[in-house]
Parts: sequence; structure tokens; C-alpha cells
Amino acid sequence: MKKAFLVALVLMMVLSVISLGSTKLVWAVHWSDFQVDGIFDEEENLTVKGVQQYVDQYMKENPTVEIEIQPVPFDDYLKRILISHTAGQYSDIYNLYSLWAVQLVDSYILDAPPPALIETVRKDFVPVSVQGSTIEGKIWGVPMEISNYALIYNKKLFAEAGYQHPPKTWDELIDMAVDLTKRNEDGTIHQYGFAFLSGWDSAVVHPYLSMLYSLEGRLFTDDFSRSLLDSPEALLALEKQLELFKRGGTDTAGSVWAFPTGRVAMMIMAPWYESSLKLGFRDDYEETVGVAPFPYLTTPANCGYTWFIGVDRNSRHKEEAWKFIQWMTIELTEEGTTRMGELMARNIGSIPTHHADLDEFPDELNDLYTSVFVQELENTISEPNVAQGQEIKVVLMREIIEAWHGRKTPQQALSAAKREIDQILREFY
Amino acid sequence: MRRDMRLRALSGYGFISPALIFYVFFFGFPVIFSFAASFRRWNMLVPLFDARFLGWDNFEFLLQNEMFLRSLLNTSLYAVITVCASLAISLFLAVLINSARFPVLWRFLFFTPVVTPSVAIGTIWNYLYRPNNGLLNQILGWFGIRPVYWLTDGNVVLFSVMLVAIWAGIGGSMLIFTAALKNIPNDYYDAAKIDGAGIFRRFFSITIPLIQPTLLFLMATGMIGAWQVFDLPFIMGRNAPAMSIMTVSWYIYETAFGSMRMGRASAGAFLLFIIIFVITLLILRAFRKGGYEGFAEKET
Repeated sequence: MKKAFLVALVLMMVLSVISLGSTKLVWAVHWSDFQVDGIFDEEENLTVKGVQQYVDQYMKENPTVEIEIQPVPFDDYLKRILISHTAGQYSDIYNLYSLWAVQLVDSYILDAPPPALIETVRKDFVPVSVQGSTIEGKIWGVPMEISNYALIYNKKLFAEAGYQHPPKTWDELIDMAVDLTKRNEDGTIHQYGFAFLSGWDSAVVHPYLSMLYSLEGRLFTDDFSRSLLDSPEALLALEKQLELFKRGGTDTAGSVWAFPTGRVAMMIMAPWYESSLKLGFRDDYEETVGVAPFPYLTTPANCGYTWFIGVDRNSRHKEEAWKFIQWMTIELTEEGTTRMGELMARNIGSIPTHHADLDEFPDELNDLYTSVFVQELENTISEPNVAQGQEIKVVLMREIIEAWHGRKTPQQALSAAKREIDQILREFY
Repeated sequence: MRRDMRLRALSGYGFISPALIFYVFFFGFPVIFSFAASFRRWNMLVPLFDARFLGWDNFEFLLQNEMFLRSLLNTSLYAVITVCASLAISLFLAVLINSARFPVLWRFLFFTPVVTPSVAIGTIWNYLYRPNNGLLNQILGWFGIRPVYWLTDGNVVLFSVMLVAIWAGIGGSMLIFTAALKNIPNDYYDAAKIDGAGIFRRFFSITIPLIQPTLLFLMATGMIGAWQVFDLPFIMGRNAPAMSIMTVSWYIYETAFGSMRMGRASAGAFLLFIIIFVITLLILRAFRKGGYEGFAEKET
């Protein structure tokens, strides 16, 4: 009896020591389902790794570390960070859209990465993604995903209309859109020459910024003291969008989500739409879908946005968290890629940000769809990491949409946006 | 005697204390906290009392902000039209169905939208409202009417959403009106018929006054609900100009979680509370007399 008691006591002490010595990290991710669990074939063999498999591998190599993945829907991700901080419950590791991160930095939520890691990021990652992870001159995490925009067009509709090549410039796009638009007897459009992406702030603002950048314009002054929506470039960018409406190449009822039905000839889209196109067109995908650089106004340019991975300042295991991030995003595997790059390219379907990864996934990154986005990284300018960036984009989106609907002239729309945005900037800068 | 009364009072408070504690924690404290937040530039990432104190700035901003003022206008239009139309239609239907064949079937048909989630309703009506091959535009086409861009035309989108809200809401009010109508004794109608009162006279002189308490209840609760509307405009109006469709609750939600301005959102919520409170008081005052008790008082 005494012996059994002693054995139990020793066992409890050993287990306590082990648990005290172990580290638990919580990683909040905006991915779900197969992105977290991995992709399996019909015989339940793993064919493409998800986040969980990488985490399991790390835990196997580091037995004292336990990592819990918390999938949070994208729409709820920022809310979750806000609410969990109010409740005093933090995740250790976050996937962060760069605009959200500005507020987190201002509120002292993010931990500064180790200097050695910062140097590696500067050296080994695509410049536009480093730009995206930089807030007020400092890098706050490791870039993991970069997105930009390209022209997606329907090759069959083009061929029917006698077009061999997609437009290179915005003016060419307008002419072709007008030609490719077909109307019903009642005047509604049944085939759109072009459809604008809309429904949320980035959808409307990013293509507008791409056009502004291609006119060598900028949205803010360098010190963010005021917006430049009163510049000739800002006005011209919006006027060029409205020309499409005026000349009948689109209308406000046009939807990019109708592209897979073959009723939209051209649209501006981001890399993440590839799987929907493949699902929509199925066997006709390669014959139908064409991708080309964003049609420019004076200079090829594109707006990009970045996701990076960072650590919460309140984490009790910051060192371990950065160590895991380093393993996941910087350390090269035997195949010469990063694990995050492999996850992005093979599972998530996004563009990875490490130089090594961009060369190593030919099937995924040099395919019909993604290759153009990757090529266009050299012309991509990151959206500015400004305080209240989300709010500013919503204000700008609303005014652009007012102009699309003909309820305001471009001048009125941009003046109204400038007034409100400058008021926001004065609060923070 | 006094001691006895005091003991009785204390024991009464003792009995209601669980409910009182629940009320304080889950209503009182959040309301006070929210009121305190409305005076600060608070983004939920820092403790509330570390956030910058702004005084009345949040309220001032809202009362001068074009988008907030438009959302107030949109919501007031929505509330007045949907509640009044909904009540009128549901009362009319309740009277009709009361004397129709198969009343249970009709009540079931009209009540079904009430128990359908608003996301499903919004999604279905998005399809019905499609400009190209939506059902409504097809029907308009039969009569030679040009298609309407129901959910993208800024002049029409609010009315499109109101139509759906009215359709979805009449069933609930209709059931309550049916119960109220059944409580009116037939004697009143018989006496009125004997006196030569026609159908409209009987409706306006007997039915309406005697269902006034029910009207009060439905109007007050309808207005409170309508002023807080979020779901249908949010689901159906995302592709329309925000100025034409955004409601106050939607504005508050976006300000809180999109712009990370919980302080300003709290200020908006308080302004909304004041508006709803005043409207409810006005309705209570307008409909305070009526029903049997109201008329019994008059007679005495």
C-alpha cells in the first residue's frame, strides 16, 4: 500500500515537472477545413499538408512545446482579437492583415521581432511583402502571403468578338469592354464586357489604387498628414473608371461572380479566386480563362496587400513563439523551400513571400493563373499602412460607389472622401 | 409594526435579488460601461480608462456626420413605412381570414416567413430581385415595364428591402390581431348592425377602438424592432450605395468592428436608445386609452 502510494506520488511529481516545463502556444489562424486539416484522397491518405501537419511535426521535434490552432473565420478574425483582448485572453501568434496591424502596433499589442529575424526578413523576402509588414518604419512580423491584382478575361468571348489579345492599357480595356457588352431588348446587359469587383472595401479600393499608382499618383503624403485625393491623378483614375459606365461597358448591376457562368468578358481579380474558376469552368477552364497584367494608365502598376505572422506582446512564451515562426517561415527544408511557402503554394493557393519559395513551386506558381500575379510582383506597390486604414478605405469605397452610381461627380466624391479622411488623419498624425 | 413592515420589505427584496443581480450584471453594468466608453476614443485593445478622453466629441461627430445622419433618415423611413404598412396589412388579413374558409391554412402560409431565418429570406429575395432573370423583373416585363435594379439602384434599394421586411413581418402581427379580434364580443357588432352601421362603420367604430391595446403593443414593439434593424439591409444592400441603405445599427456595427471605434459606436448606440425611448413614449401616450378598460372609464 505504502509502495503504491509512493509510486503514485513520484509519478505525479514527474508529470507536474513535465507540464511545468512544457510550453503551450495558441495560434489563431484565419484558415479552416482542408487548409487546417490537410487534403486527403478517397483512401484517406494525406496528399497535401495542412497547418495541423506542420504543427504536429514541430511538436514532434520539440516535445516540450504544445501548439493549439484556433481557426477563426476571416470575417470574425479582427473582432476576435478585439474581444479577446477586452476579455484578457490572448493568442500567442496571429496571422495579420497589415492594415489591422497598424492599430495593434499603436495599441502596443504586437511584440517586436528579434533583430536577427528582422534582418533575415529584409534580405530573404519579396520587397513588397516587407513593405507590407513595415509599420512606422519597423518590421513587425514575417510576411507569409502577398496578393495583388490582374485582369482575368474569357478567351472564348474574346475569340467570338475577334480579339486575339487582352488589353494592355486601360483605354484599350474600355474600348474592348464596350464592344464585348451585349444587351437584352429591354436594355439590361446579359453579357458584360467588364464587371467591377465590389461588396467590401478592398474590392473597390485596391483596383482604384492600382489605377492611381499606374498614373504615378499616391494616396497620402509621406508623413500621412493628408490625403492626395485632390491630385489630378486621383481624379483621373476615378474618371477613367466612370468612362466604362458612361460608354456602356458595364453597369452597377454587373457582378464578377457571374464570370464562371460565361457572362462576363473581363474582370479585375486577386490570386485567391483560382479554385472558384476551376470549379466553375471545370474541363473548359484552360480553354476559357486568360490572365493578363492589370491594364495600366501610364505605367504598369498594381496594388498589393500583405499578411504577416506576428506575436502578441502579452504572450508568456514570446521566445518560443518566435522560434516556431522562424521554423515555419524562414528555415528552409531539404527541398529548399519554407514550410509556410509550401502551405501557401500547395494548400492555401496564395503567393508565398520568401524568395526561395517563388522558384520552387512550378506547378502551383507558374500555372496559367498564378504565374501572371507572380510576374506582376515587380510592379506591385503595397497599400499604405496608415492608422485607421480600414476606416479610410470604407470612406473611400463609399464615395467611389456614389460616383459609380452617378449620384456624385468624381470631383464631389473625392472631395467628400478627402474631407473625411483628412479629419481621420489629423486625429492620428 | 414598523419593524414588521421593514422585515417584509427586506424579504421581498431578498426574493427578487437573484433577478435583480442578473439585471444589474447583464444589463445595468454593460449600459453604464457603454455610456462611459462613448466619451472615449476606445478601440477595445487597451483598457477603457487608458483610452483618450474625448468628452462629447463622439456625439458631436455623429450629429454632424453625413453617413450617420443618412442612416438615421434611412432607418426612420424604414421604421415608419414597414411598421405602418405591416400593421395595416396584417389587420386587414386578420379580419379577412377570420371569416374565410380554411383559416388555419391561410394563417400557416402567412406565418411561415416569420419562422424563416432572415439570412434565408434575404438570400432568396436576392435571387427574386435579380435584374436579368429575377422573377420580379420578368413579371414587370409581361406588362412592358422596364427592368428595375432593385438592389443596386440607390433610389429603389431601401424600398426593395422594406417590401421584404413587410412580407416577412405580417404573419406575426396577423396572429396577434386574430386573437384580439376573437376577444371582441359579437354583441357589439349585432347591436351596431341593428342600428344600421355598415361594414366600414363597424370596423372603425368598434373593431379599431377595442383592439387599441393590441395596436399599442404591436406598434411599440414593431417600432423598437424596426429602429434596430440590421439583418435584411446588411444581407441585401451590400452592393447599393451605402447612403441609400445603411441603417443605424449597421453603421454602429461597422464603426465598432470595422473602424475599431468602440467609443463612437457606443455613442451611436446611446443616440439610438434615446430615439427609440422617445418614440415609445409617444406611442404609449397616443394609444394610452382604448380597449374595454378605456371605454369603461369613459362611460363612468
